[in-house]
Amino acid sequence: MNPISTCSHCLLAIGRLGQEREVNGEKHAFCCYGCCLAYQVHHGEREEPDAALLLIRIGVGAFIAMNIMLFSLLLYSGTFGVEDGATAHLVHSLLWILTTLLVIVLGGPFVAGAWQAARQGRLTSDTLVSIGTLAAYGYSAHQVWYGAGDVYFDTVTMVLVLFTLGRYLEARGRVQAARSLAPMLAAERAEVRAVIDGSDTMRPVHTIQAGAVLRVLPGERIAVDGVVVEGRSECDEAVLTGQSEMQVKVPGASVHAGSINGAGQLVVRATTDGNATRWIQISRAVRSALARKTLLGETVDRLAAAFIPLVVMLAIGTFWFWSGRVPFEQAMLIGLAVLVVACPCSLGLAAPLATSLGIGIAAQRGILLRSGSVLERLARINAIAFDKTGTLTEGRPKVLQVSTQDAAEQQVLLHATALASASEHPLAKAIAEAGRGLNTTAASEVRAHPGAGISGRVDGHIAAMGSVEFMSAMGWPVPASLQDGPMESTHVYVGWGHRVHGLIALADRLLPEAAEAMTALRRRGTPVLLLSGDREAVVARIATTLGIPEWRSQLMPEAKVAVLQDWAERHGPAAMVGDGLNDGPVLAAAAVGIAVGGATDLARESADVVLPERALGNLLWLFQLARSVRESIRANLTWALGYNLVAISLAMFGLLQPIFAAALMAGSSVVVVSRSLRANHRASSAPAAPIVQTAPV
Amino acid sequence: MLQYLLIFLAGLAGSVHCVGMCGGFVCVLGKDSRGPAASLRRHLIYNLGRVTTYCLLGAVVGTLGVLLVGHDGEATATSLAQRALAIASGGLMVYIGMQFLGLFRGGYLRGPGFGGDILASALRQLVKAPGAGAPLALGTLNGFLPCPLVYAFLAQAAASGETLSGLLTMAAFGLGTFPAMLAMGGIGLWLRPAAPSMAVAADSAVSADPLSVRIDWRQYSLCIAGGFIILLGVITFARGVLPMSAHLHGL
Repeated sequence: MNPISTCSHCLLAIGRLGQEREVNGEKHAFCCYGCCLAYQVHHGEREEPDAALLLIRIGVGAFIAMNIMLFSLLLYSGTFGVEDGATAHLVHSLLWILTTLLVIVLGGPFVAGAWQAARQGRLTSDTLVSIGTLAAYGYSAHQVWYGAGDVYFDTVTMVLVLFTLGRYLEARGRVQAARSLAPMLAAERAEVRAVIDGSDTMRPVHTIQAGAVLRVLPGERIAVDGVVVEGRSECDEAVLTGQSEMQVKVPGASVHAGSINGAGQLVVRATTDGNATRWIQISRAVRSALARKTLLGETVDRLAAAFIPLVVMLAIGTFWFWSGRVPFEQAMLIGLAVLVVACPCSLGLAAPLATSLGIGIAAQRGILLRSGSVLERLARINAIAFDKTGTLTEGRPKVLQVSTQDAAEQQVLLHATALASASEHPLAKAIAEAGRGLNTTAASEVRAHPGAGISGRVDGHIAAMGSVEFMSAMGWPVPASLQDGPMESTHVYVGWGHRVHGLIALADRLLPEAAEAMTALRRRGTPVLLLSGDREAVVARIATTLGIPEWRSQLMPEAKVAVLQDWAERHGPAAMVGDGLNDGPVLAAAAVGIAVGGATDLARESADVVLPERALGNLLWLFQLARSVRESIRANLTWALGYNLVAISLAMFGLLQPIFAAALMAGSSVVVVSRSLRANHRASSAPAAPIVQTAPV
Repeated sequence: MLQYLLIFLAGLAGSVHCVGMCGGFVCVLGKDSRGPAASLRRHLIYNLGRVTTYCLLGAVVGTLGVLLVGHDGEATATSLAQRALAIASGGLMVYIGMQFLGLFRGGYLRGPGFGGDILASALRQLVKAPGAGAPLALGTLNGFLPCPLVYAFLAQAAASGETLSGLLTMAAFGLGTFPAMLAMGGIGLWLRPAAPSMAVAADSAVSADPLSVRIDWRQYSLCIAGGFIILLGVITFARGVLPMSAHLHGL
């Protein structure tokens, strides 16, 4: 992926009309003139000459503009005497010279933008500004040359100044939209404090390799995945896990890139390379999400592209209409007002701004969206299907119960753990987990019997662990008291000395937040479906516990796709929530595929949304966010279209001076930006999905 | 002309105030490597830009004054508007003048929401840039920094009710600030390394309690400026209150 596909200033996607420029020795890309302007104004603290250049240009432009306005004001106020033609001509000539300078200084960027677009066969708002100001300038110059009539150099001046100011203000607003995302997107460029030979050296994060030792100061963002070697602190991992509580970090604890260190200083040993952390992956994912155009954005862009030729035609038509009825100058001013008041800028801003705000807000809760169009689809979702294992349950079996016969529970666990620690099987891992802390010695002569069990020598005698069939194959009888274990659980028998001594029952446990999420969905009346490859009894029990009315069990991945599609036909667009490990096809087939959990490889293309582990509670919040983004876009579009309609009508009827038209147009973009920012503020301060305290589990 | 002389003197006395806000820029505006004449030119260009901004602001508010009250004779509705404008402007000037005397500290008049901080931070990168364009740009944009002194004279310019006299009012004020700003530049050139700490000292003098014993030359000068502004404010105010036949217009 091209590393600079988003604007260096506002972080929005760069369209075909991006500008590339070197600032302070670094290559940057900007989506528009305003962003280029604002970026240089705000990144000039290092006293770099080329950063100051643009500001000098504006300052000098302002100086010239002020002189033009001064003389124009004096001219209008009659200070020079109305009858005195010679003085007036002198002042007009002076204004001509000043305006020529101004058109070069402030008009240059607009003309350059229009030219760039023209070479691609397109018209942009730069084209409108260029045509308008150059027409007024040319006409006024002609007037001065022949020493006749009024001049409109002040109009040219004000249009240029207001448009430049408008572009700058718009860019300032846009950057606020992306401010929350800035540290995430800068992840690849972060610098870390490497401890080399006892002293700290600043290094770019991508040069850090696993095993390097780094120092993290209080308040700094941790840039590597690693283990704490020294120090004690608390870390804010909200951006990775969505959990707002600070996580305590002591030596031995693992820290994650992207989390923010609290009050203590930490020394961390990296466990992965600096450019392979989950944080960097998130950074790349968000960057590419921002760079992708949304369906709606694409439509609006096409609309705006068609809009500009229409405006040019309207302006010409208006001019032609009025030129037969009023003096030439007046007809020209009316045409000029039509040109400058039509503002596709606010139209073009309406969708991408709100969308990137949405992506940013979600990312702050650790929720990754594949692209802006995912938000559009999320807003249309009517129903949600869930996978069971790893989504509603922990996805890992846990020891539920240990039953014994002629042995102590600890003895059973001791033998089981000794055998289990030699195996990678999920059940063995769960048993080893349960037996952690017991003083076990590892078994010797361990033999795994795939699909059946495991045997070995513990404390000098043969021990075995496995299914009831495995025990019979060993020739060890299962006592009657151990024949039955808890329902819907997996049974593992443990024996030694030619006898079965214990039964360990294991089961996958329901996530507490699953119940909360289901209750919240039920309250909203959203249809919910449970899809699982598991046995009927297990699925039925989970569905009953969670209050899910519809479920399907023993489904192969392909069958899940068919069931989901069938179900979606009845209930409308459906989202699928899964762990992304074995339900890739169904996630891809759903209207929106939502993968839960850190286990998922972020590069996996099948999921549209990646929720952090244990973040089901944020599911409803995400839907609300998507809907509020959609509302914000709709309101913006209505506003921008309505505004243009009214403004163009006023201008066509000759009711709008070009200067006011330019001021209105500069205002409209600013209004759209600030509207979106307000919506952003409301959405991000909204609480997460209602937390239900009395979960029916 | 007496009026413009008064304004010039007020600007002269009040420019000590400028040292606090704009003095920082002037101090580091730097000297030109081509010698003291070039350095002086740099500072003159800076001040030219600044005064031009004031002039435009003066002309604009003067024109607005015209638009508001019109050119009509007395005893009409517009003459009432003119009186109201004079009263409002005069009141504002008296208020600002009293602030200079150390009264109403709590309600210190702040700039409009244009974002003086952003402007100031943007200007910082201009001070070191070479060429004649940089000081011109710096001066021009500097003129827009929020400043109660400028507001006081803008109120006066608005009440003048004419484009040209509005312009002249601000020009007189701007010229009044010239000497102090040039002197600041000169001090800045000689005391290069100490410049930042000087600017800080100037700032702390502004914030010092006016009732404290430490009333220095700066405070005196600010009091004089305040006196001038109040005097001008009272005259403007009187123009609105007294019968027109008193003809204070000539002043």
